[in-house]
Amino acid sequence: MNPRLTAVPGLPPLLACLGILALWELAARVFQINGLPPAHEALRQLPAILGDREALFNIADSMRRMVIGFSLALAFAVPVGLLMGRNRLVAAFFNPLLMIIYPVPKAALMPIIMLWLGVGDASKTLVIFLGVSLPIIYHSYQGARAVEEKMLWSAAAMGMSPLQRLMRVVLPSALPEIFVGIRTGLVLALITMVTSEMIARQAGVGNILFNSLDMALYDTVYAMIVIIGALGFIIDVLFERLRAWAVAWAEPLHEIAVGTS
Amino acid sequence: MNSRAVPEILLGVLPIALVLALWQGLTSAGMAPPSLLPPPAAVFARLAQQLADPVFLGHAATTLFRLFAGFAIAVLIGVTLGVAATGNRTVEALLRPVVRVLAPVPKIALYPAFILILGFEHASKIALVAADAVFPILLATYQGTSAVEPKLVWSGLAAGTSRRKALFSIVLPAALPSVLTGCRIGLVISCIVVFLAEMISSTNGLGHLLVYASRSFETVDMYVPLIAISMLGLALNAGFNALRARLLAGFPEQS
Repeated sequence: MNPRLTAVPGLPPLLACLGILALWELAARVFQINGLPPAHEALRQLPAILGDREALFNIADSMRRMVIGFSLALAFAVPVGLLMGRNRLVAAFFNPLLMIIYPVPKAALMPIIMLWLGVGDASKTLVIFLGVSLPIIYHSYQGARAVEEKMLWSAAAMGMSPLQRLMRVVLPSALPEIFVGIRTGLVLALITMVTSEMIARQAGVGNILFNSLDMALYDTVYAMIVIIGALGFIIDVLFERLRAWAVAWAEPLHEIAVGTS
Repeated sequence: MNSRAVPEILLGVLPIALVLALWQGLTSAGMAPPSLLPPPAAVFARLAQQLADPVFLGHAATTLFRLFAGFAIAVLIGVTLGVAATGNRTVEALLRPVVRVLAPVPKIALYPAFILILGFEHASKIALVAADAVFPILLATYQGTSAVEPKLVWSGLAAGTSRRKALFSIVLPAALPSVLTGCRIGLVISCIVVFLAEMISSTNGLGHLLVYASRSFETVDMYVPLIAISMLGLALNAGFNALRARLLAGFPEQS
């Protein structure tokens, strides 16, 4: 690609979006599948959805649950992960349990949690919380484990209490790794949000998406996919900004964006 | 294994035992009606009974088939594209923005599209698994292969290896630890996604069993597929670690 083109920020992803849409339009016209409307027909639905008060309310509702579940997970998972990283016994206590829970699809707990807490906000928020917690715990744990011992010794020699050391030495030096976990958690939060709403069909973007699938409103289905995809992308871009600001001092970690549900 | 290992294993068993005890306590104290939370003994007895049942095993086999088909496609595409992006600047320039846009998209939202295009059978679920697992594998392969010591490649080229051959017989093996890390993440994702896909629309597989049980309020049967998928995930992870240890026999130890 022309280096001058890549120098403009945001242009390559924009070109990629246009390329994907063009491919979609082309595929729809060439294959003429019933279930694949051309891109322009789906995009034409976007103003209708984004102008609809109820749809906007649903999207806001989903985002609210996601933010609450995510914040709770953050407040819970980071301290647990840091303690696990600094204390062998805490790590030995939690590790096997976490290993067993990890491969369970959190959204699959939805039918059971619905039995206990109903179909409302509580069960969906709880599922998001569960899904987000695990990767953040894992990465905080890894980050805290890798803290340079000498820094802790110096801090102790300066008279810091264990709590102060945790907050002022371990937390900052684990921060880049924690951000890797947060990114994974964000992807997960979004997936879990959509899935939970799809299982408990009551409100939210997942509900609109799968209801329009059931009602064979294929244009709306694809428009919703575009909206959810855009949400994911926007959240990712905002996160990158935040991370660049918060851990600008750190060397860029090798990170693998992970999405599990 | 050192002398501290045994108490630590015991310590690790403790929370699991606590959860089971709490579960048992809640049910036997009558705090939770069996229709909401069946006693653990009932669930595990049912699990043991199901594990001997060919019908249940058939559902599990269907799930496994979809999981591995999707995962294999993801590995094939992810590793190929990752290596190609390292080896070719045009490929990298094309691939990078596309991955930047598509990787953060929640793939589960694409599932309706896959259903509409590929139908309700295996293909749509396999496509979803592949779409979800491919990105971590692709990114890990790309990061691993682009971090390979250039001197290795130069030596290969100086010894007369073609660039393409150097890519697959020097760069890819050297990047194997990173590739396998990506594959392991992809495998866990596959495990989760295949279950979700089966929950959403399916007539067979473990995910379907869960939804079916929940629709008919067979609470015990809701817990069985969940435990089964957790066991499956653990077994896959253990198997993968064994494979990894064999493949990486010559590499320096990594945590």
